[in-house]
Amino acid sequence: MDKIFRLNIKTTVIELFLVFIVFGLVGVLLLFLNALLGPKRTNPLKEKPFECGSPYLQKDINPFPVKFYLVAFLFLLFDVEVVFFFPWALVFRDMAGTALIIMAAYLAVLILGLIYAWKTGAFEWD
Amino acid sequence: MNEFASLSPLLILVGASLIILLLEAFGQWSKRWLHSLIALASLGGCAIFAATFWGKGAGYFQGTYTLDNIAILMTVLFSLAGFLVILVSLSYMIQHGFNRGEYFSLLLFAVSGLIIMTTSEDLIVIFLGLETLSVASYVLAGLKKEDEKSSEAAIKYFLLGSLASSFLVLGLAFIFIHSQSFSLKEISFVIDKSENSPLFLIGFSLVLIGFGFKVALVPFHMWTPDVYQGAPTPITAFFSVGPKAAGFLVLFRLLRPFLEPIFSRQNLQIILWLLSALTMIVGNLVALRQKNVKRLLAYSSIAHAGYLTIALMTQDGQGLIFYLLAYLFMNIGAFSILIALSPNGQEFHELDDFNGLATRAPWLAASMSVFLVSLAGFPPTAGFLAKFYVFSTAVRQGYTGLVIIAVLTSLISVFYYLRIIVHMYMSKQISKITIKADDPILLVVIFFCLYGVLQLGLFPGRVLTLIQKAVLSLPPL
Amino acid sequence: MSPVAFFILSLLLFTLGALAFLFKRDLITQFMAIEIMLNAANLALVAGAKTWASLDSQVVVFFVITVAAAEAAVGLAIILLIYRQKKNIRSEEINLLKG
Repeated sequence: MDKIFRLNIKTTVIELFLVFIVFGLVGVLLLFLNALLGPKRTNPLKEKPFECGSPYLQKDINPFPVKFYLVAFLFLLFDVEVVFFFPWALVFRDMAGTALIIMAAYLAVLILGLIYAWKTGAFEWD
Repeated sequence: MNEFASLSPLLILVGASLIILLLEAFGQWSKRWLHSLIALASLGGCAIFAATFWGKGAGYFQGTYTLDNIAILMTVLFSLAGFLVILVSLSYMIQHGFNRGEYFSLLLFAVSGLIIMTTSEDLIVIFLGLETLSVASYVLAGLKKEDEKSSEAAIKYFLLGSLASSFLVLGLAFIFIHSQSFSLKEISFVIDKSENSPLFLIGFSLVLIGFGFKVALVPFHMWTPDVYQGAPTPITAFFSVGPKAAGFLVLFRLLRPFLEPIFSRQNLQIILWLLSALTMIVGNLVALRQKNVKRLLAYSSIAHAGYLTIALMTQDGQGLIFYLLAYLFMNIGAFSILIALSPNGQEFHELDDFNGLATRAPWLAASMSVFLVSLAGFPPTAGFLAKFYVFSTAVRQGYTGLVIIAVLTSLISVFYYLRIIVHMYMSKQISKITIKADDPILLVVIFFCLYGVLQLGLFPGRVLTLIQKAVLSLPPL
Repeated sequence: MSPVAFFILSLLLFTLGALAFLFKRDLITQFMAIEIMLNAANLALVAGAKTWASLDSQVVVFFVITVAAAEAAVGLAIILLIYRQKKNIRSEEINLLKG
């Protein structure tokens, strides 16, 4: 066998097992937590979409047109990328020149993406 | 040294891919020679510009981007991989219905992600590079929109890939909590003082899991065969070479501070020992019962990850990079043959489709044999020398048990590699599939890979000294 | 309040997400499980920033959020592609590739 196995195996194994035991126990606990804590009995009313008893207005959820998804993806992207403006605004006073260039480069990439989406027809509604 | 020009390899790639996007958006194209030319030129330029910084150790962004010699070698390697993959996909993409300019820009983004991963010693930048690579890869895997298998590969890659990155982020968080830094240098500085903190161990294991997914080590390899089989073949060639090389290089940098004093960190070594042994055994054994050659090559790539892990354990940077380079040539070569066997939107990759290839396309069969022999690790090919260097360093450092496993599993691998050769040369019936060997670019790539495999196998001297110089120029810890 | 509580909470959340990923059979739900895991990691990062009074890991949270958004856009698009082909998104029906 290799030399690494001759060394102080005990502490290592104990450490590793501790980690896995903690993860495993939490996992098992969470698996059965639902069954332990949740209500046991069910009734027809409970199975309804609105447990308060109001009747639903529409039988199924109608499928949305696919273009909604496209707009949603694009919104998600451009919305979240703006997050970097906040730290940028905080340090802007200290490093005005560099910060401006960095943000210009960042924005240029975003705008190129926008132009690409625009030209490939992502925003055409019909 | 701190200079803006050292960013040029990355800027070229990103700029080229943005230009290609705009070209695609503003023009109506039926053939995309311009796109591919821009992509190829940018990859070439990237390699050349990177090479001009050899030995200068230039960097930018307060040291989070360092173009050291190893990073330069890897940048050249990735550019070469991207170059070859674009060349082999030129006619494939038209015949298989993903004739879109976005393909090139996604590939360039993926390559720039690889370069970011290997040029940084800051865990956060490495993570961002990994994500640049991953997000581009998910799309690349699903590029054949009409093909259900391709979409399946994309969704599997996406789900398991993002699972892996969430493990990685949690690991980064724990490492930060323990050591108050994301920079590998500072982390290794802190770690020396406090031995065996469980917090750090959890964090490090989580990071190891994250990268284990990317390089397909065994408990985390489930996605590999499916993604490799479902993705378009040139993309599979890229996946098997690029992300694997980058992942191993990052692991090499990551583990360097913690494996240096050989006897102090046995727990990490035990984990790596087990991962490596498992990867070699499972990868090779499951490959034995594969009937689809593309899937077989996926399992073979898992097995090779096992051999590469040995190089990680022994901190044998020279062996690791030489192995990755040899692997690039033999794997892209083998996948190019598979591309020659996928005419007009179909793919003939079952073992029986190889029956009698030797009489129908002797050159293809002969080159495929060389690539397979190299993958199996026979002299005088690159695969043999690569394995020889890695194994001999491991023996010298006392990992005899692991090397015995490695040699035994290599023997198993000979069986399934040779089975393909038997199908090509000794089969009675001859399959009727059409072979698309008239594409001159594809043939050039195959011969170039052949040259690479034999050059590295017979006269590796100059490449080896180059790699050795790069590894020796790493700062001592 | 001690940051250890936050670490434990983030580990719990992470395990929860991992279990949801393993036991749910719906692609969107599995994807949401991954988002939960990422957010658990974000919680740990913010708690780390609080412990060390350091801004480093808070900035990292920004990066993780944007990366998660990019992943979400690509992932949802792929799920939509799967839906168009198979008319459902149950993960046990994604079984063309095996062996």
